[in-house]
Amino acid sequence: MLTTDNHDRPRTWLSSVLTDIHFWVPLAVLIGGLLLLQSIR
Amino acid sequence: MQSVATPGNESSVREISRPRKLQVLGILSGFTAGAWLGAAEAPTKLVSVGVSPMVISLIMVTGVFLARWSVPALILGTSSVRADLRRAPHLIIWALLAGCLWAVANTMTIFAIHDIGLSIAFPLWNSNSLLGILWGFIFFNELRQAGWRRWTGVLGGALVMCVGATLLAIASSTQAPAAHSLRGVWAALGAGMLWGTMYIPYRKAYLSGMNPLSFVTFFTFGELGMMATLAIGYLGLSPLWHELTSARDVLFWLMLGGFIWVIGDVFQQYAAKYVGISRGIPLSNSNQLWGLLWGIFVFGELRGSGAFTYMQVIGGSLLMMLGVGAIAFSSAAGKEQAQWQEAARRESRRYHIAEDYVEARMQGMEMAGEIRPPRTVWDWMLVAVATAIFVFFATLARAPRLSFHWGPAVLLIAATLALLLVCGTTLWRTTRFN
Repeated sequence: MLTTDNHDRPRTWLSSVLTDIHFWVPLAVLIGGLLLLQSIR
Repeated sequence: MQSVATPGNESSVREISRPRKLQVLGILSGFTAGAWLGAAEAPTKLVSVGVSPMVISLIMVTGVFLARWSVPALILGTSSVRADLRRAPHLIIWALLAGCLWAVANTMTIFAIHDIGLSIAFPLWNSNSLLGILWGFIFFNELRQAGWRRWTGVLGGALVMCVGATLLAIASSTQAPAAHSLRGVWAALGAGMLWGTMYIPYRKAYLSGMNPLSFVTFFTFGELGMMATLAIGYLGLSPLWHELTSARDVLFWLMLGGFIWVIGDVFQQYAAKYVGISRGIPLSNSNQLWGLLWGIFVFGELRGSGAFTYMQVIGGSLLMMLGVGAIAFSSAAGKEQAQWQEAARRESRRYHIAEDYVEARMQGMEMAGEIRPPRTVWDWMLVAVATAIFVFFATLARAPRLSFHWGPAVLLIAATLALLLVCGTTLWRTTRFN
């Protein structure tokens, strides 16, 4: 059984986020949306 | 890995039929979400023209914010929310991101409706379900090894729903003058793109084991923060305040719309959790059908229309129901479920989340030996404060004079509440709201 607590998480989870495509795709779409909103105002 | 436990710590035996039960639960949640998201339009119809669309959106989001904290506090307790976040703190980022995506999309729909009318705008942003299917397939193994019948059911059902939605939107359209048609088309497509992408964070959260009620509490910070920024940026602080104070008679109706919307969204989250985004989004998109029922029967919106309009409504409604049925009968089977579990294991490994926790939550259960923290005095205070704010604005509200038919309204309210009761009870019995 794997443990529930992960003591190394604070050091690693941010880098895991920044290398995750699931983060960059929504972020890119959000930035694109804000730019589109700015241009159609 | 240790076999995981139990709905609400009661039974220790994993049932063979459980995946099937969860699929049915997800489909029921999608139906219920459609009914409540559609009903959320009713209070906003009580608001007469003269209030800026940006203010309407901001006040609805304020109601949403209050509901997104008080409902989870009441059902789950904020201690459970904190416990969920300790296990997967990275999901706060995705929750905020999803909230921001929602707010920008919602603002775009205001421009779209203004520029090209609902009839063209709605089908364009309804494409979010097709994008959701694409993201679900690419990122979360949805519809992998599903077989051509399920592919046909889901994709065909979503396309049929889009055609039905187009007919309904044309029939219910106000046909605003197309002064900036290209701008409106871009705005509608942009809204669809943002909303379709918003489901990536949803699905990611549930493949990581997060409780939907925990996810929405942080989602709403992104939602309110982005909406407030846009409103202040577009209108300016002083004009915004002036508009808010001059619209105090209708603030309650908008906040009530936001509250009802949250109930629908909570069920939408459970649908995304248990049937995935490829099926959950199209099912939730049946809200247009419910919105139209409210519009036609309660507010008399199509009164005086010709037979052709009514044929469009009936045809569109039948197509929507056909699409919903096709998707509902295409639930994920064994091989596809195994692909989902592989996607969940990938998330566990990447973010160091205990696999037994993720597996238990994917099954709508708690881990063996896990004790849900009890509600605290803070939970009751949250509920009391939110209720007091709603009551305060209710005392300021005025009932507008407009055509309102009580008979159909009572029937629709009864149907919506019945769905809440049935789906809520089933969720509680099957998952204890996990």
